[in-house]
Amino acid sequence: MKSAVYNFGYFMKEAKTLFRVDFLSNIFSIISIGLIFFILAMVICGWWISSNVVEIIQKEAEINIYPKDGVDISNLIERIHTIDGVREAKIVAEDEAYKRMEEILGREAHILELFEDNPFSSFIEVNIEIEKADSIVEELEKIDDTEYIRDNKKVIDRLQNIESILKVIGVLAMAATGILTLVVVSHIIKQGIYTNREQINTLELLGAPEFFIGFPFILEGLFLTILGGIAAWAMVNLTLHYGYGQVAKALPFIPLPPSQTLGTNMMLMLIFTSIVLGLVGSLFGLKSAR
Amino acid sequence: MPIIEGKNVSLVYEDGTKALNNIDINIDTGEIVYITGPSGSGKTSLLKLILGMEYPSAGYLRVMNQLMTKEQASNIRRLRRKMGPVFQEFKLIKGRTALENVLLGMRFLDNYPNDIKEEAYNALAKVGLEHKISSLVENLSWGESQRVAIARAIARKPALILADEPTGNLDVDNALNILELLTSLKDEETTVIITTHATHLIEKMKEGKLLQVHNGEISCESWGCSI
Repeated sequence: MKSAVYNFGYFMKEAKTLFRVDFLSNIFSIISIGLIFFILAMVICGWWISSNVVEIIQKEAEINIYPKDGVDISNLIERIHTIDGVREAKIVAEDEAYKRMEEILGREAHILELFEDNPFSSFIEVNIEIEKADSIVEELEKIDDTEYIRDNKKVIDRLQNIESILKVIGVLAMAATGILTLVVVSHIIKQGIYTNREQINTLELLGAPEFFIGFPFILEGLFLTILGGIAAWAMVNLTLHYGYGQVAKALPFIPLPPSQTLGTNMMLMLIFTSIVLGLVGSLFGLKSAR
Repeated sequence: MPIIEGKNVSLVYEDGTKALNNIDINIDTGEIVYITGPSGSGKTSLLKLILGMEYPSAGYLRVMNQLMTKEQASNIRRLRRKMGPVFQEFKLIKGRTALENVLLGMRFLDNYPNDIKEEAYNALAKVGLEHKISSLVENLSWGESQRVAIARAIARKPALILADEPTGNLDVDNALNILELLTSLKDEETTVIITTHATHLIEKMKEGKLLQVHNGEISCESWGCSI
């Protein structure tokens, strides 16, 4: 243990030497690992955004009920409140409905000016527990006073489908990037061991422990993946900086998480992934080369 | 107390070459032993067995109480940390200076020295290479490389030095200096085993035991033999 601490400087120097000996090949490996990590980060970004959106929409899951003319609204609202899974029910007047649409449309709101009168009618907005949506709709349909019931379940179901697809893609991408990175790193380590086989043989004859011989190679593997991770993070940051705003503008009605939070999360994910894959790849390379 | 103890030891290489045939060997702690014999007689093979680079095909061999068998490979590797091998082909690490090579042999020792650099420097000074500490080993002459290899071995302060032809590339004066340096380690209870062709040099040494190897057998075990 004492020698491991005292030798840390030596291990770092050896790892740098190993890196220098196979410089070009190592640079290409860093670029490859960086691109692999970038793809992984993008898939995870998509997955994270979609689950975030689904979560927000689920929290705001609601059913809109358009009552028949002349119905006692407060009575109807009371009845709706008694249904299991209903969180809140309130009336949204025509003016409020118009205002909301203006907010949603933003700069495109001028389209509403084409109408002479307010095209929206008042309705009852029912905030519900999404998992009970089917039974709530069933109960609401039994009430005669309702003209039309609009639920957003189809939209939510579709989003949930997209989220599960992205989840599967994410898991597959993680597995693929993991395997690819392990192959690249372990190959580089094996190559390094082959190049330095005489030195390794001498150290073995002098009684050097496996740890002493292998540690510089593990550090080299870590250098590769950490530098690859940094390259990927730079690309992710650029993409978020230039691309995220465009997406937010193009899809104003989708509640995207803040890009800074996304950037921080991606950084943490890349640090963790590069350290784990660097360690595992190096150990795998060492094991298979000996 | 014997540091090396072997009975009926034979070594046959994988290709069928018989290197050692039924030898008995007994070396005590602190002894100086010269192994001589013609090329191919089995001198280096004997050192390889002691270092654990090869295992006896028959018989048994114990070094520092460690049985030398393939099954004991990991223990033998640990045992090597108590040895100071000087290889015929030096086995220095290229791209490193003389000082770095000596240091590299000490970095993983169980008793990691606190003043590791000073000890490495002293070892190089003892072999007369204090002016070459920063030279890359590939830029050294054969004789200088051999002395770096010797410095690497003695800097480890081993219990057992195994030197394969340590004077092979040295002029007479340097060779005698090296032999004197190695034999002086006796005072530190270090056992030194030297293989050599240079019988004219070992005749000048005042003490030690002589083993003459011929055709894989120890043919003579005293100074009285004709060398």
